[in-house]
Amino acid sequence: MKKSTRLTVWAIGLIVFALFPKFFGIYYSNIIVTFAVWALFAVSLNMMLGFTGLLSFGHAMYFGTGAYGTALALTHMDGLPLIPAVLSGGVASMVLAICIAPLVVRVSGTAFAMLHLAFAQFMFVLALKLRDITGGEDGLGGFDIPPLQIKGLFSVDMADPLCFFYFAIAVIVIALCCLWFVTKTPFGQIMVGTRDNAKRIDYLGFRVSHTKAIVYIISAAAAGVAGSVSVLHQNLVSANDAYGMMISVFPIMMAMVGGARSFFGPIYGAAFFAMLEEFTTRYTDHFELILGVVLVVFIMYWPLGFAGMIMKLKYKWLTWKQSRKSQGSAS
Amino acid sequence: MNILETRNLSHDFDGLRVLVDVNLVVEQGEKHAIIGPNGAGKTTLFNVITGTYKPSSGKVIFKEKNIAGCGPYKIQRQGMGRSFQITTTFDDLSAFQNIRLAVLSKRGIRFNLFRFVDKMDDITQETVEILQRVDLWDDCHTPAGLLSYGKHRCLEISMALATNPDLVMLDEPAAGMSADETHTAVELIRKLTKGKTMVIIEHDMDVVFSLADRITVLHHGTILATGSPQEIKENKEVQAAYLGQLEE
Amino acid sequence: MDATTAMYVSQGMHGVAYGMVLFLLASGLTLILGMMGVFNLAHTCFFMLSAYFGYQTIHWTGSYWLALLVAPILTALFGILMERFLLKKVHAYGPIAELILTLGVSMIILDGVKVVWGTQSLPLSPPQSMQGLVDIMGLQYPVYRLFLIVLSLFLLLVMSIILYKTRLGMVVRAAVSDAEMVNALGINVPLVFMTVFGIGTWMAGVAGVAIAPILTVSPGLSHQMGMDAFIVVIVGGFGSLGGAFLVSLICGLLSSYGIQFFPQYAAILIFVFMAVVLTIKPEGLFGEKES
Repeated sequence: MKKSTRLTVWAIGLIVFALFPKFFGIYYSNIIVTFAVWALFAVSLNMMLGFTGLLSFGHAMYFGTGAYGTALALTHMDGLPLIPAVLSGGVASMVLAICIAPLVVRVSGTAFAMLHLAFAQFMFVLALKLRDITGGEDGLGGFDIPPLQIKGLFSVDMADPLCFFYFAIAVIVIALCCLWFVTKTPFGQIMVGTRDNAKRIDYLGFRVSHTKAIVYIISAAAAGVAGSVSVLHQNLVSANDAYGMMISVFPIMMAMVGGARSFFGPIYGAAFFAMLEEFTTRYTDHFELILGVVLVVFIMYWPLGFAGMIMKLKYKWLTWKQSRKSQGSAS
Repeated sequence: MNILETRNLSHDFDGLRVLVDVNLVVEQGEKHAIIGPNGAGKTTLFNVITGTYKPSSGKVIFKEKNIAGCGPYKIQRQGMGRSFQITTTFDDLSAFQNIRLAVLSKRGIRFNLFRFVDKMDDITQETVEILQRVDLWDDCHTPAGLLSYGKHRCLEISMALATNPDLVMLDEPAAGMSADETHTAVELIRKLTKGKTMVIIEHDMDVVFSLADRITVLHHGTILATGSPQEIKENKEVQAAYLGQLEE
Repeated sequence: MDATTAMYVSQGMHGVAYGMVLFLLASGLTLILGMMGVFNLAHTCFFMLSAYFGYQTIHWTGSYWLALLVAPILTALFGILMERFLLKKVHAYGPIAELILTLGVSMIILDGVKVVWGTQSLPLSPPQSMQGLVDIMGLQYPVYRLFLIVLSLFLLLVMSIILYKTRLGMVVRAAVSDAEMVNALGINVPLVFMTVFGIGTWMAGVAGVAIAPILTVSPGLSHQMGMDAFIVVIVGGFGSLGGAFLVSLICGLLSSYGIQFFPQYAAILIFVFMAVVLTIKPEGLFGEKES
């Protein structure tokens, strides 16, 4: 795509986003925020899965820690400004990841996936048991979202859904940009190299365990930010919202259905997922059943997900263009 | 100086002695071939030297330091490169990306999270130069897994050399190649290893005799003979070992 | 026996009973994992499905023994169908894809049972002959739990004999160790896979019907013992039956005595155990290092 075309698309996107709440109202704006949170969460998982080849069945542990981190910070620290509140979630997750990384990078493949399943479960049980801190099943909530302000200059009230909408989307877009940037750096190359052939990476002089650790920590921090925004959005976090089994499963689904080999894949997956949920929950309670079927069908017939389909179509279009060109010059 | 020396190097696998008291000596700048019948322990020797295994006993002295038991990444950083008998490249990445990773390693760029790698012109330039030198420039965007066998092997060897190691270990570089491909590979290896020290495992005797300054023959895990190609050709024990293999 | 000793022994036997059933559940999982490299997330769902089939059988016929016979076989059939038609296709895409497929199937089963049987806990009564208490040296112990221990040991014995004394067993053990090699020897490996998958799922099915009278039949059944089963397999080492047996017993005893003495933190004990083992030996107690 030409640069000018790309800029135009982004500009249009920006305008649509800015005007969205005005045209579609609060209900759909909330859905967009939820979608954005899941998109960031799914992309953070995919940093490990699609880009480095590490599958975790317990990524909820970082999403939940981010949510609790921010909730606890706001509950216990009076007058905490907005940005530090959001960051505290991300930092909490990052710290947890740094503590666990040394253990976790020594494990790979299925063990890695299941170990994280167990960890997430452990956090869930912990959150339930430590009622005094976490509020157990009922959870924490009812805290005021601090306004976005620079003292003396301006103050934006975050209780207003419209303002929160813009803020939440902005935070998530910034986080996504950071993650995107990481994939474009030299380290990003080492990441995909590790996914493709960790042995070769080792013999080229790169430490595989260090690479995995860094990806792990970045992924955890991003998941934490997603959890942060989520708790600010819902104004409630409970053990099940934070560390439930499905919370770990959803981003995997989104990444696979959207396309794990692409940076944007999980975002397509999150969008598909949001639309599916909106549509099916009107008719049935058995959303999980439908999800299971979707997952099975996609992994059997379209393992590269939507992103893979788009690539195929792109390729077909390019070869068609090519053949038109050569036909044109032949005649 | 001897760039590489193994001292009383032995290795067991679950009680099976694969290497027995190997004392290999490789002088700086020489092209050294390791040959021997199947099962002699050649690849195991490579694996112990390059850090895949920690030897059961003995030392591996590389540039006057004992590296026995160090991990592969550590040994690579000391200046030893390795290629594999079974092609070990990044099959989903393009040839360009494959070589670029080797170049990044050479320059010690490992945890750089701060620049667009595609905009690092000096890296790109060096990668392009290497691709042109090994005749892979036309295929630079092809995923490595889709390259023809000969080109894929060529990529394998180039990656080992792109990190500019002082000692390069090539494990059967010509494995599975046709006569033409082998000829191209030999010329390529000769060109790329000028001035470097090289140790090569090979079964194809033509390759061995056109590349090697010195040959070591391994048999049942020990060194049977070491010497110039002429000496090895005329060595009775070596002939017996190979002929014995044919009869078995 | 005095009261305190009776309590300890009783808790210990509860632990052993639970541990043995856990082993039945985990053994299939670890065999399948060791042989095919697939961690079947749907395995514990089959365990639960069998409990539901058992409930339905008793509902229609009133016979526990018939349920114990029929339900696991039916479940094993479902397992084989999954292996043949779904897993096989996805095998080419790699272990992560296989894992995700089993995730999808597990979701289908988990929600599927709710569709058919609703979300309530359903009771499953043990057979008349196994109800009541028996006197062991002054301790009154539930007959049914004793039955669980005996049943599990019996199956363990049968399994050991098959694995270590028959040709099929030898082939299976070889396939767990190196499936490619076995294939190269001309043995029909897909058939071996299917057999092991079927038998592993069958044992999970037996575990399901066996534990149902104690835990009751509910959608949460899979999760309840599932987590423990996963830990058994990870900590015991992939493909290691001995490891699975040992860790199952440990988990059973930890769980039982944990509930007795540290009720708040019983669930956490097992996680701590797992974290400790994996820190020292990442491939599991009896696992083999991946080369």
